[in-house]
Amino acid sequence: MRRRHLWLAAAAFLLLLSAGLLSLVEPSPAPPRRQVEFPAAHREADRQRQAARRTLERPAGPAASRPPSGGDAAPAAPARRDPFLLALPVRPGEPVVVIEANALRHSRLGQLFVACTTAGDPRAFEKARRETGIDPLKDIDRVGVVGSSMVVSGFFDRARWDRLVAEGGREEAPYGEAGRIFSAPGQGTIAVWRDQLVVISPDAAAARQSLDQLEGRAPAPEGALPEEAAYGEVYGVIPGAAVQRLFSAADRELGARLAAAASRVELHVDAMEDVAAVVRMEGEDRAALGDLARTLGGALAAGRLQAKARGDAPLVELLDAARVVDGGQGLSLELALPASTVERWFEGCAGLRPPPPPAP
Amino acid sequence: MSVLAVAADLLREAFSRKWTLAILAATTGLLLLAAFGLELQVVDGALAASRFLGHADRGGIRPVDVALRPLFEGASSLLYGAGLIFGVLACADFAPALLAPGRIEHLLSLPVRRWELLLGTYLGVLALVLFGAAYGGVGLSLVILGKTGLFGWAPAAAALLSAVAFSAVYAVMILAAVAVRSAAFSAAAGGAALVAFLLAGYRAELAPAFAPGLGRGLFLALTAPLPRLSGLGSHAFALARGEGVQGAVLLAQLGGTFLFGAAVLAGAVALFERKDF
Repeated sequence: MRRRHLWLAAAAFLLLLSAGLLSLVEPSPAPPRRQVEFPAAHREADRQRQAARRTLERPAGPAASRPPSGGDAAPAAPARRDPFLLALPVRPGEPVVVIEANALRHSRLGQLFVACTTAGDPRAFEKARRETGIDPLKDIDRVGVVGSSMVVSGFFDRARWDRLVAEGGREEAPYGEAGRIFSAPGQGTIAVWRDQLVVISPDAAAARQSLDQLEGRAPAPEGALPEEAAYGEVYGVIPGAAVQRLFSAADRELGARLAAAASRVELHVDAMEDVAAVVRMEGEDRAALGDLARTLGGALAAGRLQAKARGDAPLVELLDAARVVDGGQGLSLELALPASTVERWFEGCAGLRPPPPPAP
Repeated sequence: MSVLAVAADLLREAFSRKWTLAILAATTGLLLLAAFGLELQVVDGALAASRFLGHADRGGIRPVDVALRPLFEGASSLLYGAGLIFGVLACADFAPALLAPGRIEHLLSLPVRRWELLLGTYLGVLALVLFGAAYGGVGLSLVILGKTGLFGWAPAAAALLSAVAFSAVYAVMILAAVAVRSAAFSAAAGGAALVAFLLAGYRAELAPAFAPGLGRGLFLALTAPLPRLSGLGSHAFALARGEGVQGAVLLAQLGGTFLFGAAVLAGAVALFERKDF
């Protein structure tokens, strides 16, 4: 072997030795992050849940259940519908967000929340149940927020509606086949349907719209929140116009640009163990969406670096698991919080702390 | 012996250069400025309080060594960083001068092996840098001792660690000079190596910036043998803050720095062996 090769071999050996020696005192790398499963699509369990919820045989109304462009070729609406989705009093440009309250209550996050609440006031939920007849931990299934109205599904047969009249000064009036409307001037409207659904709205028209949709007197809110988009523990659809309204007057231009790029924003959150959120944005202008994806990606990277520089560990953890996926018809922003992080948030909660050591 | 002769020859040449003498004079000037110009009121106050009250830490008055920690930390940072940059700029010309046409042929005609020439030059420059570091670092520590009555090892340690760190940087500079006989190229390679070695100390934090897979693996593999200069400097800063030095970590980082320097020097010898003069 030529002398030059010996020197090269010595160089390589010494480099390896250097790497080995330095690695001995390097801090051990952080364990690989457990993969969080994102709610990216409708899953079999979601389909089964939805099938079980299609309990309402909705009569075919004049324009009901047919898309505006309908015609003979349009597919017929399902014979049975989910009454909750049907009751959402959606108006054009209004956001719809649904919270699976019962599922969330049984999630890790929900258990921690309940433990934290009852630690501060052990009778908090019991008091609510006594006053309203509704057990917030058992009787509420889903909560939907549509604009300024709220639709709640669950078991309300023990609800004390009589108190709304006797103590709240509301007037009760039957509406349609199975609806009741409780109203009072200046107090908003509460509509109840078959002790299964409650609509709370500042606007009596929205409450009536909800009951009309349920009983076939008004068209179903097709497209606002399709069944295919109803998965996860929190889900919803926010039109671009509603996104724009979230911005203050000073940021109106930014809001307008965002709304122009993302004409439809879909939200899905899984929270049974880890909290994983997907915000999907769709729009006509692919170039603008691409720019938005790069902007968000850059902002996440810059935020991650700033959080690291500040030593903000919770934010670093959140941003480490955040990413922007640009593809298909739009872009998706994925955010995750591992269950361990969520648990740490509740560590300071009264009652969840370990008991103090006994006094000497 | 030939190695030492080459090193001694380089030192003779260095001390005959106006540039080296100017650096020595500038360092002396800065030390004198510190000795006569530095006003340490906080120290005077603490010392006076000690004399007056009998306890240096009575009331809100801090002990002198605690009060001086920021000064020692600042001086250590300055010496460590400035020593490395100064070394790159001041020593960039030695190896290219060795390889200058006429001189190299003359040297190769002597009974000196090629590796001895390179190693002698390397050791000569390191001896020069070590002398400069000891002069500046120990000198500053002595100036502070004279002003405060307190001897702090941190500035001296920072200067000596800077000289050790420079040994790896200078190996890269020699390799660059053998590849391209140019002082400017050698200095640029030294500067790039300095940045890479400083960043190597943060490789764990930087790795997530690369996509998992080939890119991140390559980054981690390439930076694994690089000296962790930021880590090396932190020992002097810890000393300045009054914190303990992690002996095992320091030894491993010193060893890694020497091994990397030796590896690159071996590479430079391999390249030098191939050259025709």
